[in-house]
Amino acid sequence: MRSGRDNAEHGWWAGREVLLAVQALVLVVGLVLWEVLSRRHPGGPSLDPFFFSRPSLIWGRVQQWFTSGFIYRHITITAEEMILAFLIGAALGIALGFVFGRSPLVSRIFDPYIKVANALPRIVLAPIFALWFGLGVLSKVVFGVTLVFFIVFFNTYQGVREVDRNIVNNARMLGATEADLVRHVLLPSALSWILSSLRTSVGFALVGAVVGEYLGAARGLGYVIQQAEGVLDATGVFAGIVVLSAFVLVVDLVVTVVERRLLVWKPPAATEEAR
Amino acid sequence: MADGRAGTTEPVAVAAAVGFHGVGKTFSVPGGGTYTVLHNLSLTVGAGEFVSIVGPTGGGKSTLLNLAAGLLVPDAGDVLVFGEPLRGLNRRASYLFQSDVLLPWKTAEHNVMLGLQFRRLPPAEARVRARDWLARVGLAGFENRYPHHLSGGMRRRVALAQALIIDPEILLMDEPFSALDVQTRQIMENDLLELWQEDRKTVVFVTHDLEEAIALADRVVVLSAGPASRVLGEYTVGLARPRDVAEIRLTTGFLDIYRRIWEQLRGEVAKAYAQRQR
Repeated sequence: MRSGRDNAEHGWWAGREVLLAVQALVLVVGLVLWEVLSRRHPGGPSLDPFFFSRPSLIWGRVQQWFTSGFIYRHITITAEEMILAFLIGAALGIALGFVFGRSPLVSRIFDPYIKVANALPRIVLAPIFALWFGLGVLSKVVFGVTLVFFIVFFNTYQGVREVDRNIVNNARMLGATEADLVRHVLLPSALSWILSSLRTSVGFALVGAVVGEYLGAARGLGYVIQQAEGVLDATGVFAGIVVLSAFVLVVDLVVTVVERRLLVWKPPAATEEAR
Repeated sequence: MADGRAGTTEPVAVAAAVGFHGVGKTFSVPGGGTYTVLHNLSLTVGAGEFVSIVGPTGGGKSTLLNLAAGLLVPDAGDVLVFGEPLRGLNRRASYLFQSDVLLPWKTAEHNVMLGLQFRRLPPAEARVRARDWLARVGLAGFENRYPHHLSGGMRRRVALAQALIIDPEILLMDEPFSALDVQTRQIMENDLLELWQEDRKTVVFVTHDLEEAIALADRVVVLSAGPASRVLGEYTVGLARPRDVAEIRLTTGFLDIYRRIWEQLRGEVAKAYAQRQR
């Protein structure tokens, strides 16, 4: 009965294997089309390889980067910047989110400043950070921190504020001190909010690193792409994008694993419960 | 059975576990103005007594419990706990809240352990006692479940174990079973009575269900409809223990006292209903 309805809703492609096959097919068709169009002689519809490169060239470049070992130090530096930006941004966001969440006075005084700082397109700060902190790792980390901070900050603030008052009262009746309350009730509550935005904040840490490198650096994936662009090397730009995408996929996988481990207690999104 | 009206000189038992003396509580309403929940209310609960408090919705029953817990401070009058004026939280009481207050990120066992953890008991010992308590409320084997994996009744049992593990002298209960279906509820009520029978803690049990109130308690206190709730009447329930809540409802003694209390409660319920319609 149930599966019959599912079939009616999703059609014949509902099976996981079929879906994967179709998804792969889309990719293959796209790549083949790209390859063929870029090889045609002028006159008909074609893609100029100078602007669009072609998949075989791009793949060759990626392979060459890895076999020569050229790309590793750039990946390492980008990863390093991303991780630092995430950790520092998250730590600051949690700490300040807590202070704001627990003190209505502080949150009321600083509310307009936080709002303005959050509304500001952070990208305009990147050149300033490059000026202040140089072209090295530090300026990218600071830039990434300004992106990550606000996401974590608002989620922590929300998490601390949204704790059910009775849950807090219950803990207090059981004898919790203020420190116990933070450790057993407020922090875990905030953490569940922070984790729900983990993907976003890690993503922003990476954006911070890559954009920072793009605007001025001597190493990193953003730098590689920017260098290729500087000499009108479309193949290099696309190869850089491919490596970056693969990197993002790996990061995403790690985040998924971490999420699953830390949120075992969470009910599944679509809960059958009425209460 | 005395009419505990404001200002009457009722004898205050020395051993009273909880005493309200001329207590008043007024809240400010978000839209401006104030709402007086309780006015000049006096009530004592003896040590080891099981007292049910019934009254219409919005009649200040929960406020009364929060005052006894020390979560609220009265604007007028005194709250005494074993003869001492209550300052800060009531450290001799546990509170079973109406809503679900288990920590969703902790397993049943860790939820039950909380009170002992806050008392800095060695974790190993706290664990053993938490397992023991889970078994006593019928949840052996469910130690490692998270609250969302438990049914509503099971979560109530965990909450009960959590409240009782710290061995409070007073147990404050705010409509603890109101969210459960009728069958689960009767089982829980019987289990509660069985646990209570073991060491007869003082229980203040708030409910809007008169049948539940009578079936469980030694004494039923009727509050008036708000605003300015006060004690309308107190009725001693002389029914024999141990009781079975499902069967006792059918006895003539039960029906007799039910009729008497309902006579008084009916008017208040109608009054409260009329007020909410306005």
